[in-house]
Amino acid sequence: MLNRFIRYIQRYKGWFGGGGAICIFLGLYMGLLASPPDYYQGELVRIMYVHVPLAHTSTLAYSVLFFGSIWYLWKRDPLVDNMCQASAGICALFTALALITGSIWAKPTWNTWWTWDPRLVSFSVLLLILGGYLMLRKLVDDRERGGRYAAILAIVGGIDLPIIKFSVEWWRTLHQPMSFSTRGVAISDDILVPLTLMSLGAWLLFAYMVMVRTQILYLTDLLNAKKGRLLSQTHFSQTSP
Amino acid sequence: MTGFYARWAIMIGGILLLAMMTFQQYQRDLSTISLATVLNSPASSETVRILGMVKSGTLSGAVDQGQATFELMDGPTTLPVEYAGPPLENIRELKTIVLLGHLDHETKTFKAKDTALISNFGFVAAAYVIAVFSLGWAIFAMSQRVMVLFKEIKEEKLYEPENEPLANKE
Repeated sequence: MLNRFIRYIQRYKGWFGGGGAICIFLGLYMGLLASPPDYYQGELVRIMYVHVPLAHTSTLAYSVLFFGSIWYLWKRDPLVDNMCQASAGICALFTALALITGSIWAKPTWNTWWTWDPRLVSFSVLLLILGGYLMLRKLVDDRERGGRYAAILAIVGGIDLPIIKFSVEWWRTLHQPMSFSTRGVAISDDILVPLTLMSLGAWLLFAYMVMVRTQILYLTDLLNAKKGRLLSQTHFSQTSP
Repeated sequence: MTGFYARWAIMIGGILLLAMMTFQQYQRDLSTISLATVLNSPASSETVRILGMVKSGTLSGAVDQGQATFELMDGPTTLPVEYAGPPLENIRELKTIVLLGHLDHETKTFKAKDTALISNFGFVAAAYVIAVFSLGWAIFAMSQRVMVLFKEIKEEKLYEPENEPLANKE
């Protein structure tokens, strides 16, 4: 079922890329030029329009990896394995960018680039888990075995997602509390519109990137398989009497 | 191939246009000039933005009613300031602030009518450049990799038409 869905949605990847680019352009315009500065933070609030969508998208990407890994262990579908591998690489990129932009925001507001804050630490742990996942994929020669080990790591690492989400409530932290919760939305409309546009754009771009990366992995497998077949045919014709 | 690069040229053009508009807005609304520049500029009632630190022991007046006098420091240069405007909530001695107003050339006093937060726009620009450039580069590299793989498959004469969306270019 998931295999069929991936193949079906792949036809529309251009729409995801185009939609993501349009949302990001509009979000950048509103975030940089049209939205007002914050009363306390001034112009620095504009960093939120890149930092928050990157952070949201990285947790979304890890959720895709988490559920994809469960599916893979259950069905052993190589296409889902490709999608998980694609999600992991892109999730690592989004996580690293969220940490970097967060650090840039922290310097003028907290007067430090880094602090051992629960949200920052749990988010960095996510990057370490992703690094481990990608290394496993690279280092284990047997692809099927590597995929299985990596899927187990991704599922175990999923424990970090609720820790990231609730770290600002469970511990004393410098990081601001959740803006979107069951208690409502704690952001004014002037800021909410560009933030929503940028978030939507980042999600669409993530979907597009996963589709392209999955296609790359598929095409690489296809090329290797065909090259292998050709090589074995050549070898066979040369060695046969 | 041409369509691919045309799409990317449009996107880069759009980003550059946004960057130019942001820079213009920064120059118009956020950038500050030094005290020395204000003192050496010709007489004008045009509103300018200056950045400096309130000199210790000089702040006086009804700050909470929007009337104050103090001296502003910027390195070795100091400038007397007469402030008349909205109540000053966050002003104190040794605090760095941005003032909006003009220089009275006869008394060499800066007539300030409003304050603003320090923009710190370099941090904003850095965050945007890193995020947009990294994402853009990643997407460009991946899209190009797909094209290279297709080319490789065709050049190696290994290509077989596949009834398969993942094996189709578009």
